[in-house]
Amino acid sequence: MIAIVAKLIARRLLAAVPILLVVSALLFCILRLLPVDPAAMSLPPNATIEEIEAKRHEMGLDRPLPEQYLIWLNDALHGDFGRSIQFRREAGSLVAATLPVTIELATAAMVLAGIFGVSGGLLLFHLRGTLLEPVADLASILLLSIPEFLWGLILLFVFGVLLQALPFTGQVAPDLPLPHVTGFLLLDALLVGRFDVFLSACQHLILPVFALGLAFSPTIMRVLRSSLFDVYHEDYIQQARLRGLSEQRILLKHALKNASLPTLTLAGVQFGILFSGTLLIEVIYSFPGMGNLMVDAVRNADLPLIQAIGLTYCIVVLVINTVVDSLYVVLNPKLRVR
Amino acid sequence: MVLKLQRRSFLQLALGTAATIGTSARIAFAATNDAVTIGWPNDVPSWDPNQRFTPDAQPVFKAVFDQPLDQDPKLKLIPHLIKNWNLAPDALSMAIELRDDVTFHNGDPMTTEDFRYTFFERIKSGIKLDTANSWKKVDDIVIESPTKATMKFNSPAPTAPQWMAFLGSYVVPKKYIEGQGYDNFLKNPIGTGPYKLAEYELNSRIVLERNDKYWGPKAKIGRVTIEIVKDPSARVAAIQSGQVDCTLNVPVREVERFNKEGGFAAEIDPITRVILLNVRADLAFADKNVRLAAHHAIDKAALSKAFYGGAAVPLSVLATPGTPGYLPDFSFKYDPGLAKELLAKSNFSPANPVKIGLAATNGQFPSDYDIARAIVQMWKNVGIEADLQVIEYAKYFELNRGGKLPEATLYSWDNATGDPEIFSGYQLNPKMPFSPWKDEDIGQKVLTLFGVADYDKRIAGYRDLERYAVENGATMPLLQSVLTVVRKHNLAYTKYDNGWVLPQTLQWT
Repeated sequence: MIAIVAKLIARRLLAAVPILLVVSALLFCILRLLPVDPAAMSLPPNATIEEIEAKRHEMGLDRPLPEQYLIWLNDALHGDFGRSIQFRREAGSLVAATLPVTIELATAAMVLAGIFGVSGGLLLFHLRGTLLEPVADLASILLLSIPEFLWGLILLFVFGVLLQALPFTGQVAPDLPLPHVTGFLLLDALLVGRFDVFLSACQHLILPVFALGLAFSPTIMRVLRSSLFDVYHEDYIQQARLRGLSEQRILLKHALKNASLPTLTLAGVQFGILFSGTLLIEVIYSFPGMGNLMVDAVRNADLPLIQAIGLTYCIVVLVINTVVDSLYVVLNPKLRVR
Repeated sequence: MVLKLQRRSFLQLALGTAATIGTSARIAFAATNDAVTIGWPNDVPSWDPNQRFTPDAQPVFKAVFDQPLDQDPKLKLIPHLIKNWNLAPDALSMAIELRDDVTFHNGDPMTTEDFRYTFFERIKSGIKLDTANSWKKVDDIVIESPTKATMKFNSPAPTAPQWMAFLGSYVVPKKYIEGQGYDNFLKNPIGTGPYKLAEYELNSRIVLERNDKYWGPKAKIGRVTIEIVKDPSARVAAIQSGQVDCTLNVPVREVERFNKEGGFAAEIDPITRVILLNVRADLAFADKNVRLAAHHAIDKAALSKAFYGGAAVPLSVLATPGTPGYLPDFSFKYDPGLAKELLAKSNFSPANPVKIGLAATNGQFPSDYDIARAIVQMWKNVGIEADLQVIEYAKYFELNRGGKLPEATLYSWDNATGDPEIFSGYQLNPKMPFSPWKDEDIGQKVLTLFGVADYDKRIAGYRDLERYAVENGATMPLLQSVLTVVRKHNLAYTKYDNGWVLPQTLQWT
């Protein structure tokens, strides 16, 4: 099985090369075709028109688009994604500094979405045919219709403002330091032995994680329920009943495992969407992640930074898809047959 | 039984944890008398204060670094690191004398070597600095002693003293940067300011600690935490929940709500920022009657009342009250009847409207898009049909450069100095990228004023220009913009006319 998974990963890595090339070219062209002037944005407001023209020349913006792209690609292959116009720092280093925050937030949210999604899906399935089914169905549709930023505002208002039970700005309390080891705050707090920082970081994660988790769990719930319905029409479920197995055992030991495969595929797709969904949540909760950085970059027409962040999102999605496909191979014996 | 016990234990554990989390969260909100937390709308772009002109970051820079000259709350230029200055009558040189008791945060004394390095050497060294643009006229800085030097300009620099207290003009430590390296300076910046940078997390927070060896008045509060909260609703929630002690730039309606409900001190302060319509000299606006009619048709007082609680002062010139270029006796009237008459002279009426375009940002400054919509309606009543287009601020310069802006564009312009060169001088200078107004007559007047060395003559010239530009429809000033501040009642700060909220002026009362 390990060999099959390794082969799959190798295949995916090979396929990622043309995908990244196409995405980077598309991103580059779209950004350059926008009616914004990075040269003017990179100069102070009292720069003259002549100085802006000189800057355009210096930045290579007066060259043909394919030539500009090839220069960018060559630099990118050497690890240079350009300098941020706004921050005057390497775009790559800015992305590297903010990516762990977003990964931590998105991963915690995905775990929560998975827990809510699976337990909610099981509950919905369990309530089938009962009087409560339409109520549960309606509740899941209602949950589905609330986007993550709205959850963000609702939770902030209820638990932050009304109840004043949880903090909602930044990653830790103002009087605590932020340790820097790996960039993953929870891990860093434990590594430096600051449990007060760890506890504070957990408190600050609760609301944004719930906002994202609640927004993404209903889809998982509904897909799991549908998959369970399908699985329950299979012969082996009837045979399990004939063998005298309890309904609970049939559900948890037999049906859930098979129904989880489409759910897993969906969760992979959802994780990609959730990762980009951190953008608004990071702004609302003042999380210094990549989404927050993206908002700055867009506001300032910081094309090198937008390009670097866009490409990072693409890489993250490719990695998630590879992980999900690998898990699929692990969980589904049919895929391991050569 | 075992299962029940486990379940009970689990519930107790969960509730206990929740209570602990809740309690410690509340403890975290409590403020001490020697600390304050501010909800700030934007991060600093870099810790090199000479690098980027970002108006919102200036109060943060002013806490860590010092400017050669400063402004008092009424924006009068006052000595700071520079004790005395003397701009030559031809504005081709400026002699300065620095204080002799200033040290950087690492203990190094601040001298004319640092001054020369900041305003000449590092600019010439090729580091990409915005100050390279403001100080491009500097030919040399001749050092006479550790405290005395003379700046030499290659062309008249009449606003050099004003720029000494403006965007990006902060003295940085030569020895430290050259010795420790530029990258280290960006990570561990030191200045001569009243606060030291204790901690910085990109897009998250800035922690400042009082510089007890500061040469000037010591800051009243020992530790200032600036939480970067970009979302206005989150800033409102943060102050309301007590997670921050003070915040800025919240929606005007929220300030009104805070004032009604009590509990917090909430203010709408007019500042040296103008909201105006930048106009073209061609297309349908080639007709002066149409331009003037468009201006007469705008009820600025109604805009102020509707969108800024009446706190934004209606403007007739491109300068704010109290600044040198302001004309208190000149008023450009709201007169829809006159607007109709002017349009009638050009054969336009509500039945046969003149068609123009109006561009506006949505969210660049408070209520921008709503103001634009209201103007469209006001214009419609007199016979001007405007097609409203939303543009990104970042696109403004590109559209202007390509001559693609419509007849009018709603714009906001900040000028912390209050000097008229940086108001109408910059806005109407045809060689600068701001104004779509390209016209020889006004352009030549502006360019002449850029070389006038005598202060009184320069100010008088700008006052004439402002009136002339408005009377000819070359610009349409609308309102003085506002800054909103919400704070705890017992937290005081010094109000500056340009909207600075300086950490070193905060104090608990």
